Amino acid sequence: MKELIEYIAKAIVSYPDDVVVSSSEKDDGDITYILQVHPDDKGRVIGRQGRVAQSIRSLLRVAAVKNGFHVSLEIE
Amino acid sequence: MKSIEMTAKTVEEAIEIALKELDADRVEVEIDVISRGKPGILGIGSELASVRVTKVDGTSNVLDSANDVIKNLVSHMDVDVVVNLKEADNEETGGPVFEIEGDDSGLLIGRKGETLRSLQFLTRFIVGRQTGERANLSLDVEGYDERRKQSLANLANRVAQRVVKTGRSIELEPMSARERRLVHVALAENSEVYTESSGEGRDRRVVVIPS
Repeated sequence: MKELIEYIAKAIVSYPDDVVVSSSEKDDGDITYILQVHPDDKGRVIGRQGRVAQSIRSLLRVAAVKNGFHVSLEIE
Repeated sequence: MKSIEMTAKTVEEAIEIALKELDADRVEVEIDVISRGKPGILGIGSELASVRVTKVDGTSNVLDSANDVIKNLVSHMDVDVVVNLKEADNEETGGPVFEIEGDDSGLLIGRKGETLRSLQFLTRFIVGRQTGERANLSLDVEGYDERRKQSLANLANRVAQRVVKTGRSIELEPMSARERRLVHVALAENSEVYTESSGEGRDRRVVVIPS
């Protein structure tokens, strides 16, 4: 799942080397992923009307359904 | 364009044989699944799968990049599916159409096609960035798009009938631009009603109005 976020982020930013994905697991097993990008790239990974971020979340949900837990994505 | 039709026990097998005959790579061909075949019980009632495989003349940057991006996305999503190029250049969309098949294909449609739209949006976005060209590609999951088209047309006609009967306008649910277009097209030749879109952004919807 981390690889999915990394792949998409690196493919759309101008500074792929600055892409960092970290995660934290809550007690109930749900996972929050945190995507960090270069400040200039923040708009790109969010997209117009948040379209890019929403689409990434929608793909993450598929992977989460397969593995039986919830995921969320934050962008910093 | 060189094109052959092949029958075998499974779709995959038919594609493999056709590729050998055409001496082509999977990324160089359009694959149209004519029949998925049926396994049957102990060979009774079984049906062979058949496909039409066409070698595409000269492949484009968008096509190459799209193949690569879709494969990367679905493999990172950990889903069990195969992606084929169905048409290299579709008349209606002005770009290639890819078809996704396999055990997990339903997962990739999502609620009201949301996941499929997201996958298509991200693929276009990434391909656009990689190639610097506008990527008019579209994705379909085992005929979902076709079915959706049909059901939208049915919905449009049902709503039109009600509008005519009651003489009152009906507002449909919010839809994507493409879906709204399909509704407009479905009712374009109906002289008893006309259609308009209202609302902004994600809330934009078709209104069917008695004429």
